[in-house]
Amino acid sequence: MAIKSSVKSQQLQLIGLFLLIQIVIGAILYLVTALATQHMSNNDALLVVALSFIGLESIGAFIVATVAARPMQKVADALLYAYSDMPIDKNSTVVELIRRLHAEKNPEKTVSAEFEFAHALLDNLPLGIVVLNQKREIIYTNKAAPTHGGGKELNINFSESDSLNLWLDDVVGKNISASKWWKRMRQVNIESEESRQFFDLLALYHQDGVESIETVLVSVDRTEEYSTDEDDLDFTALAAHELRGPITVIKGYLDVLRQELILTDDQLAFFERLDVSADRLTTYINNILNVSRYDRRHLQVRLKEETLSKIYGSVGDDLELRARTHHRMLNVTFPEDLPTVAADRGSLSEVIVNLVDNAIKYSSEGGLVVISARAEENFVEVSVQDNGIGIPGALLSHIFDKFYRSHRSRENTVGTGLGLYITKAIVESHGGTISVRSDEGHGTVFSFTIPTYASVADKLANSDNSNESIIEKKEKKYIKNHSMYRG
Amino acid sequence: MDTPTQTVLCIEDDRFIGEMYVRALNQAGYKVDWVLSGNDGLAAAKSKPYDYILLDLMLPEKKGNDVINELRGEKNLIPDTKVLILTNFDEDDASRNALQEKVEAYLIKADITPRKLLEIIKEL
Repeated sequence: MAIKSSVKSQQLQLIGLFLLIQIVIGAILYLVTALATQHMSNNDALLVVALSFIGLESIGAFIVATVAARPMQKVADALLYAYSDMPIDKNSTVVELIRRLHAEKNPEKTVSAEFEFAHALLDNLPLGIVVLNQKREIIYTNKAAPTHGGGKELNINFSESDSLNLWLDDVVGKNISASKWWKRMRQVNIESEESRQFFDLLALYHQDGVESIETVLVSVDRTEEYSTDEDDLDFTALAAHELRGPITVIKGYLDVLRQELILTDDQLAFFERLDVSADRLTTYINNILNVSRYDRRHLQVRLKEETLSKIYGSVGDDLELRARTHHRMLNVTFPEDLPTVAADRGSLSEVIVNLVDNAIKYSSEGGLVVISARAEENFVEVSVQDNGIGIPGALLSHIFDKFYRSHRSRENTVGTGLGLYITKAIVESHGGTISVRSDEGHGTVFSFTIPTYASVADKLANSDNSNESIIEKKEKKYIKNHSMYRG
Repeated sequence: MDTPTQTVLCIEDDRFIGEMYVRALNQAGYKVDWVLSGNDGLAAAKSKPYDYILLDLMLPEKKGNDVINELRGEKNLIPDTKVLILTNFDEDDASRNALQEKVEAYLIKADITPRKLLEIIKEL
């Protein structure tokens, strides 16, 4: 054993030192004796030699003792080093010996020089590295890693429908190795909005990896790039605020005037057109805002138990007015025993507004728009049917695309081409689906489904009413863009 | 039996909108105090108990968020008052959710008319 040979060499060194000191003392005593016998009486000379002998031997003993005790000091240092994090002379042989000894007995706590080099290297990387073991516990993080809670938790705001855990649930046991990117992820815990960082995150999974490294996460700080988008979003929100102010005033005073003035039928119709136009403006602004949030993964709905009639009721008057001013009729029939749904009233009413407004726009003068609903297993299906111009089959697949506007709409109907795009996004964010059937020249039916409250109540109770747990429950094939929520 | 007149504090810096709400509320029988800034609003809310507070968010001097945080922070200074946030600014979800926890209603001004506002107040 290395430590034994080290002790032996220490013994030999001490014996050598002792002999050397004895020789030096012998030589000095010889000189002292020679000088003393020349200049003193025999008695005095004997006394001087004896005293010199005692003095020199004492000094020699002190030197030998000091040298002999030095390894003890080193052993003490080494023990302190092995059992604490005190910075001590790590190059000392004894320290190295103790370290090896310690490592043999505690293999999982080995601190090798190679590890320290690797650690320093990783800490200097501009990439975050997080290592998880089989139990998905964090066993290593470098300096740039997005963690909090003393490095025990990832500081990344995953959506519950697209989280690291869900992905691992999916791949563990089925794949030997797998990888996945998450883009535009935000931190959960931040000191202030200005300090918020954005990351792209790569997860690499390898079954039974060495040293219990099962999953490695690599994060790339993309704050600079993504925060520009955030500024755009702030701009959109501010612009919307400025636009909504005058609309509030126009709508409000129209409402006041309509109640206080005695109007002829014509004048009343003009007032209603003004009302409808102001409402449309509001819808466009809401759509623009929602698209802007959706595209930046900010769209989030808060699901609560709602009845469809209440949701419709919040926009029914406005829609009735829109239909009337365009000489269309609305026929709304919801069965009385329709189950309650899990919905965000504001967002879902925007879905209804967009679909009914489209039906009004693209149906013929005097046409009928039928809004109906029915329960189907764990969903409520809502349909909006018109008897209008219809949509050619070839175009149906593009109908939900961003900025897509139907073949006729470009000529004579206003719109942004955002309505159906955001409608689909909102429906899907509720965990539902949307579909369209159309017969050119005869009319179109848009149908969307929303989960019943009963089917998701448990999930909601456990997740603070966010939509994410519901989406997770749904079959994956429905969710085309389920990672859109706040990252 | 006469019910006592209900009181409303309207904190709104847009004069057109403020006047519109005050007028509709007065006509519906509410007694309304109208202030134009966050600081005045906070002082008024602390000075006497209102039945309702209509609170704008984008306000001069002190933002609506700060007003509500002071009124309903660690201690609820206005337990008997119903607070309605009336804003046209689209808060991000986190701030909006945090605000909604603290108030009785959160409304987008452009989505409602004074008549609807009265209906909502009655429903609260």
